[in-house]
Amino acid sequence: MLKDVTFGQYYPAQSFTHRLDPRLKLLMLIAYIVALFVAKTFYGLALCALFVVAATLISKVPFGSVLRSVKGILFLLIFTSLLNLFLHSGEHLLVEWGIIHIYLEGVLFAVFLMFRLIFLVLGSALLTLTTTPVSLTDGLESLLKPLKYIKFPVHALALIMSIALRFIPTLMDETNRIISAQKARGTDFETGNLIKRVKAIIPILIPLLISAFRRAEELGDAMDARCYTNSPNRTKYKKLTFGWRDLVAALVGAALIAGVVLFNVYAYDIFPAAYPYVVIL
Amino acid sequence: MSQLQTAENTQNQQDFTALSFENVKFWYPEAENAAVNGVTFSVKKGEFVSVIGHNGSGKSTLARLICGLLQADEGNITVWGMNLADQKNLFEVRRHTGIVFQNPDNQMVASIVEDDVAFGPENLGIEREEIGRRIDWALNAVGMSEFRHSTPTRLSGGQKQRIAVAGVLAIRPDILILDESTAMLDPQGRREVIEVVRRLNKEEGMTILLITHFMEEALLADRTIVMNRGEIVMQGAPQEIFENGEALLTYNLCLPEITRIANTLREHGIDTPPCLYPEELAAHIADCAEKRVLKNISSPRVPKENDEKRGVWDIKINNLTYTYSAKSPFATQALKGVNLHIGDGEFFGIIGHTGSGKSTLIQHLNALIKLPTAEKKYKPKKVKKGQTPPTMPRLTVGTYDLADKKCDFLSLRADVGMVFQYPEYQLFAETVEDDVAFGLKNFFKDLKAEEVKERVYAALTAVGLDPAEVGEKSPFDLSGGQKRRVAIAGVIVTRPKILILDEPAAGLDPLGKREIMELLHKLHDEWCRTVIIVSHDMDEIACNCTRACVLSDGKIFDCASPHELFSRADELISLGLDVPLTAKISNALKRRGIDIDSDFTPDGFARAVISAFEGGENHA
Repeated sequence: MLKDVTFGQYYPAQSFTHRLDPRLKLLMLIAYIVALFVAKTFYGLALCALFVVAATLISKVPFGSVLRSVKGILFLLIFTSLLNLFLHSGEHLLVEWGIIHIYLEGVLFAVFLMFRLIFLVLGSALLTLTTTPVSLTDGLESLLKPLKYIKFPVHALALIMSIALRFIPTLMDETNRIISAQKARGTDFETGNLIKRVKAIIPILIPLLISAFRRAEELGDAMDARCYTNSPNRTKYKKLTFGWRDLVAALVGAALIAGVVLFNVYAYDIFPAAYPYVVIL
Repeated sequence: MSQLQTAENTQNQQDFTALSFENVKFWYPEAENAAVNGVTFSVKKGEFVSVIGHNGSGKSTLARLICGLLQADEGNITVWGMNLADQKNLFEVRRHTGIVFQNPDNQMVASIVEDDVAFGPENLGIEREEIGRRIDWALNAVGMSEFRHSTPTRLSGGQKQRIAVAGVLAIRPDILILDESTAMLDPQGRREVIEVVRRLNKEEGMTILLITHFMEEALLADRTIVMNRGEIVMQGAPQEIFENGEALLTYNLCLPEITRIANTLREHGIDTPPCLYPEELAAHIADCAEKRVLKNISSPRVPKENDEKRGVWDIKINNLTYTYSAKSPFATQALKGVNLHIGDGEFFGIIGHTGSGKSTLIQHLNALIKLPTAEKKYKPKKVKKGQTPPTMPRLTVGTYDLADKKCDFLSLRADVGMVFQYPEYQLFAETVEDDVAFGLKNFFKDLKAEEVKERVYAALTAVGLDPAEVGEKSPFDLSGGQKRRVAIAGVIVTRPKILILDEPAAGLDPLGKREIMELLHKLHDEWCRTVIIVSHDMDEIACNCTRACVLSDGKIFDCASPHELFSRADELISLGLDVPLTAKISNALKRRGIDIDSDFTPDGFARAVISAFEGGENHA
């Protein structure tokens, strides 16, 4: 189960998407998310879909790897979709069964929100799949630099993030090992009521926490011994530079937002008959 | 600053003292006894010093004191001319010292090799171009240049540890400390790291302090320091220290195996002077043989008793294949068609380097990894032309058929006990008793409280602990060796028929290792029927197992008695594995034209040599 989590798992490849400046990729993700939330029409949503599909194709990351990220929010997706389906009212009644009323508007609304959520996760997954955790935190640190002036510990935060990302696979291995060990001692994680299942987690959680603390202590010592101090004199080996790729990507990002806004405004003019079914919000 | 300059000036002199301790004492908070108790010693620039001692003898504390991770309570520590009592020197001292710890995973800050190596120089505020040059140099020094852009989590233990060394080297330290840095590595990884350390000492003139449990490593140093209970008890050339091995016994250390063999030979009139290398001992034996005009020494091997009991609990593995993260970019085939038969009552060994599929194999045995069930068609989507489609993997343990969906996996796990690597890290309960009872209560839900207690007590006694003394304690208050015993008790408490242990002796000191192996024999005799151990310590396999198999790259390379297995010593070495000490001596003797046929246990080997000599005398 834990092995399927793709978050934070870099997919090594040489591609246009991989080579983009991480700062720009972060900004692109923000632009993309803004576009997703600004979009009021299925046209706009389709444009976002086009964008994320194209970016995935260019990145050479297999679609399977990107799509797997949706698995994690599957429950949330189904839950919110059902909620929207039942609670949204409208004019075109489709189904009436007891207290349940399903309207056409509700169906469209649920589908729209579902796809928005899916695209949101796909875009974020693509970022973590094509950017090493290190350059991601470098990018974040660089973007947050202005906050230094209000005494915000930008560098410490970036280091914490990079260490957290670095230890995700290690702790995941550890978790699997502990799960196996307790399973070998007869722990049953699959059956029983909620209380039983929560109880079954304790024999995993405690060793895991203890191990995490032990690792943290050792890492702290190793960092100290390697002359770590939180001093401003620290230098950075990796320097971020904008290139032609980044300019291209920035233009695409701008075009995306512009496109979504235009669709919002001119939705009626494109295909008047479809207007009521295309504009959602 | 003046202090620094004098340090720089004296640095050029030959006898510059890199490191000195003067009557240093250190107590851990709330500890009764001093962890380091009045230690005085010094290390010269360019010297290679090894430190040995049992677990808890204060070796690691010593290392942490040197780089200022701990502050001495009494006495003076001077590193590269700077007194550590002055906190202002701390940063400068750390610039001059580098320390590599035991667990490579816990020393890396970054997810990319070069970023991790850059961490130290970045902390020193070095400019970018110079950092680049240092990364080049450091990675080159540890032979890892080609992995510059790799992810450490995907490297082997030895490679990871070499990256950790590179990360320390990038600071350009003058003193390199290795705190049991090879303890968690397989023989191949250990060789890699030690080779790097030797080269740094020889070519770069780096001062080395090597803390280790392995005699072969300690022998490489110019000087060895023996620690016991926070004190330095012996000091001198490593050859001298290990040659009078009896003294080591008093310090909770073990006699080196080779000394034991030489002693046995001497007792039986084969006059071998004390020696430490297999090649050396072989030469001495050959010398003795020559004096007595012996040729064609050979002795019939005493066949080991076949203690197959009834064959009820046989393990049969047919064509076992397993792929991790199948259908993902990281898919790796861990097992490639394994066929294996482990008999009821065997003490079986599984050998293989890291990543050879050992862990995957044993996890199949108690269905932690489940086989594809019979109902499901076992057919890959594409079968290449000319290849026969793979047959269904089968695995039976006693009467359990693991390919059967209806197999009772819970009772299987009660019958096949599994002790994982470093099992003490899986303890969690408030008291030792509760922890040991955990498995028992899971498997046998209707057991009465008195029965549980009775069986827990029996299990604790079986692993050599006093239930009345430790039962109520928190498992976290016990010593490392005791914790491991508690963890083993927590598995054997269900009275498994088959007990599987993954690296049961890993990370223990030589004495602890021997005690654990003795415990396993006791359990094999009195508690369960079959014991299976996974190990990369070949001496352990040779001395304890009735049979063993070698896994290499997901396939069984060979499965035979240790005697037959280690006769193929050269092939094992080419697989990146080690061979037992006795196999090394036998090999060296073979090159001298003397064929000793033994079962590769130290005693068996000595016996074989003795009987060969006696036979020879009769001829003469």
